[in-house]
Amino acid sequence: MKRVLQLFRTLILRPLRRDLLRTSLTVLAVALGVAVVIATSLAGDAATGSFLSSLETLVGRTDLEIVANGGVDEAWIGRLAALPVNARFAPVIETQAGIERAGSVTVYGIDAVARWRDSDGAVISTALARRLGVAKGATVALTLNDAAREFRVVDIVDAKDAEFVLLDIALAQQALNEYGRVDRIEVFAGARQDFAALERAIRATLPAGYELRKPGARSDENQRMVRAFRWNLLVLSYVSLVVGAFLIYNTISVSVVRRRPEIGVLRALGAGRRWILWLFLGEALLFGIAGSAVGVLLGRVLAVGAVGLIGQTVNALYVSSRPAPVALDGADVALAIVSGVSVAFFAALAPALEAMRVAPTEAMGRGAREHQARLHWRRDLAWAAVITLMAAAVSRIQPIDGKPVAGYVATLLAIAAAALAAPAVVIGVSRALGPASRALAGAEGLLAGRGLSAALGRTAVVVGALATAIAMMASVGIMVGSFRETVVVWLDTQLRADLYVRPASRGGGAGQFPALSPEVPGLIAGTPGVEAVDIFHGLEVRYGGVRATLGAGDADIVRRYGRLRFLPGEDRDAALQSLIGQDRIIVSEPFAYKHNVHPGETLTLPLGDRNVALTVAGIYYDYSSERGLIILDRGTLLKYLPQQPVTNLAIYLSPGADAIAVRHAIEERAAGRHILIAPNQALRENAVIVFDRTFAITYALEGVAITVAMLGAANSLLAMVLDRRRELGLLRYLGAAPAQLRRMILLEAGMVGFMANVLGLALGFALSLLLVYVINKQSFGWTIQFHPPAGLLAGALTLVWATTILAGFYPARVASRINPIEVIHEE
Amino acid sequence: MSLPRLELRRASKTYQSNGQSLRALYDVSFTVEAGSVTALVGRSGCGKTTLLNLAGAMDFPTSGDVLIDGESTSALSESALTALRRNRIGFVFQFFQLLPALTVLENVELPLLLAGAPDSQKAARDRLQWVGLEDKASALPYQLSGGQAQRTAIARALAHSPDILIADEPTGNLDNASGEQVLNLIRESAEKWGAAVLMATHSSEAAAIAQTQIRLRDGRIEETIRA
Repeated sequence: MKRVLQLFRTLILRPLRRDLLRTSLTVLAVALGVAVVIATSLAGDAATGSFLSSLETLVGRTDLEIVANGGVDEAWIGRLAALPVNARFAPVIETQAGIERAGSVTVYGIDAVARWRDSDGAVISTALARRLGVAKGATVALTLNDAAREFRVVDIVDAKDAEFVLLDIALAQQALNEYGRVDRIEVFAGARQDFAALERAIRATLPAGYELRKPGARSDENQRMVRAFRWNLLVLSYVSLVVGAFLIYNTISVSVVRRRPEIGVLRALGAGRRWILWLFLGEALLFGIAGSAVGVLLGRVLAVGAVGLIGQTVNALYVSSRPAPVALDGADVALAIVSGVSVAFFAALAPALEAMRVAPTEAMGRGAREHQARLHWRRDLAWAAVITLMAAAVSRIQPIDGKPVAGYVATLLAIAAAALAAPAVVIGVSRALGPASRALAGAEGLLAGRGLSAALGRTAVVVGALATAIAMMASVGIMVGSFRETVVVWLDTQLRADLYVRPASRGGGAGQFPALSPEVPGLIAGTPGVEAVDIFHGLEVRYGGVRATLGAGDADIVRRYGRLRFLPGEDRDAALQSLIGQDRIIVSEPFAYKHNVHPGETLTLPLGDRNVALTVAGIYYDYSSERGLIILDRGTLLKYLPQQPVTNLAIYLSPGADAIAVRHAIEERAAGRHILIAPNQALRENAVIVFDRTFAITYALEGVAITVAMLGAANSLLAMVLDRRRELGLLRYLGAAPAQLRRMILLEAGMVGFMANVLGLALGFALSLLLVYVINKQSFGWTIQFHPPAGLLAGALTLVWATTILAGFYPARVASRINPIEVIHEE
Repeated sequence: MSLPRLELRRASKTYQSNGQSLRALYDVSFTVEAGSVTALVGRSGCGKTTLLNLAGAMDFPTSGDVLIDGESTSALSESALTALRRNRIGFVFQFFQLLPALTVLENVELPLLLAGAPDSQKAARDRLQWVGLEDKASALPYQLSGGQAQRTAIARALAHSPDILIADEPTGNLDNASGEQVLNLIRESAEKWGAAVLMATHSSEAAAIAQTQIRLRDGRIEETIRA
């Protein structure tokens, strides 16, 4: 062991110290890969970790809660209290309120203790008081639904970092104009109360539509909802590590090729094969451990930035959540170390095994070895074709546990196929560009092209690594671009009304539907220039263990004015017509996919206190929510939930009416009510802004993958320069000027970038098909039309290409400064 | 009387290493005329390679002068030195130093390409024909024997018709037959192409083709023998 360590010090550590820049680049590449994984995981936890009601931090954990789609009738509090059980039943209203210039805040209506009861009294948390800079006795103005109201702060309670406002439940109902209904009833079991008996007693009493559940169920529901999103994000975060793996492979390969003669001598002097294997695996593990250690710290820093990005998406698409602080624990550190070290270990295995097989006394020159690599490129290309076919076959496998596992396997296979095709691309592009580069750039052009194909093994790895990063960028770019185009076209067909109205209090998060005052629809319908008003009721419902949005509008108006697109083979008019006066619904594509629902089937949805059987009349395309939408006629909704408030209005103007004038007229009529009136165009633009924000994190992850690949390109070009010092020195003897050597290396960098772009674009195109038609469809259920954003792709690829050339500047400088006398007489 | 093609005038070279001065050459003076071969002989470490680097304008003397057609290399800028090597000097090395990625023809053509010379391929083919390797034009260096590789290196060194040919142990890595072929080519390069040849060698056969033999010992000229 001691002898192995001694060898490790001289054969591995000393050269690493000598090549400090290259060593640092490799460690940094691993560190970035690990950091992205850690940051995504930490930020995902933080962004979704605050699903637990902040009320729990104040009143303690409830034992059970009673919920119902459309709210719980408050009369049940009295009925439950009469049960012969030792338990307390507490009604809760939970909503979001707008605070001027301070965003939104959660407002709870609870059965308050007497000292809080006040005609306009509110209790606020210390965190909120701090943020608003208010003290006891001050007033806070809240926008609840479409009304602004001032409340007097009667008390400030400490609830850690949670921000909320507490109102007495009666005051909350009055402020929200929601009498007789609460959002949930919380159950606190008394001392010595048999828990199972309590559950049985409550369940026996409750009507069919009500649900009794453990309080953690809501959090589980939320976690389930964001599971596919987080899973996809985590997989994407591993791309940087995969790119890092190429670099470790490259670094260890360089290490092995350079030390072949030494390995041969060591073997001749009696060093065992295993010694040699572990020397090089040790080198890789060193990179893995150092990279992971730096990566954990870097990941912790990056996570703080990523929380905001992930939080935005979760809020926009899934459920309202307030980011929790980023918390790094032992499991995260373990994840980082395991990821970094295993990537390093497996990436180094092949070159380390090759080192182990070096025969004693062998000191084979690189020329012969590279020749072998050249001979293998045809065989590798054949394997690439076979693996591509395998990837295509695997991609057809159905999701496993809702996860597109086959899609990911196919992605990995496609990356492997591209890596195997890399040598053929290097040879092909070198041959194709050879005459032109020689004609345009003379000796430098000839040498650059030949240099790359001569060091085929090395060049192919750099091209493979860069191509993987480019492919991820291109494929996600194509996917997001296609998705965006699909959404824009969809918005165009979906949003047909001229004006849209909603209460001002809405925080913008998914699942929030503040109510409009009952008189608002009438006021607007009577405004001159308004032809029709589609009255819409939105509410969050639970179906099949996850949340969905239930929407009810005037099916006839939607039929006459709207342009909902249905899945192929479905009759739009007939489906919408059939909703009127019947227990029939249409559902969005993601809902149908998630719950495996087909037209003609009946699903049972709890509405109020009963279960309602609803027949699916059709499935329509929708990209507004991944949660899924159920749409019924408002007549049907009001039959089951007569008190359900109106939440949105879509206004169709008479032909020739001036939208701006009508909008002003509506604002005048609805004066005093806090409503937002958005013209069609503004709503569309806003939807696209939300869309772009949603994918910000994706671009950030791609950016890191590209950075890692760039580090790799610089590292590898430097290695190529250092390995060819003798050749570069010789060129100086033959009359090459330093500037010519610089040009040659920059040309090589440009060619590597070009080869990577060619391979990366081909791989990216294949991966985008997997993303659009397999991974996205299986994860979220959306049908995306394929629209590659040509301009964006061309720009991104040019940028990557330019950056690769930039990465060649330092190696080019090193090449031009080589002392020819030293290197030519080294032998 | 015309100036000698290459002249070393009291040239000395001292290297600094770890704060210590190592003197590799002391006051070396000699001339090499165009069309003649001068052999540098002596044990390893006697300063032959240092001297070749000075003569080939790869390095400068610490004191004294290296003059090519009467012009001191020390007075030249970096780019002028590059131009000098590119246009007027050819090098042959003991280990051939062919570029493994280029074909035989491309290796020979390389100095012409670096200089941006027109019709470089034709000139390279002529040189290959001269060394008898025209049939190996598309071969890669690893496909050549040692003798063939060194003949290619000579063709490359003379591709641009240099005035000075610097050869460092050109037969040191060859068998006798190949060595003889290479020596013939070197002799021809002086006689046929008019080059001033300065050749370092351990071999008495190689030294025998020279009109002048300079024996170096510990960086000084010990003896000069003229044929």
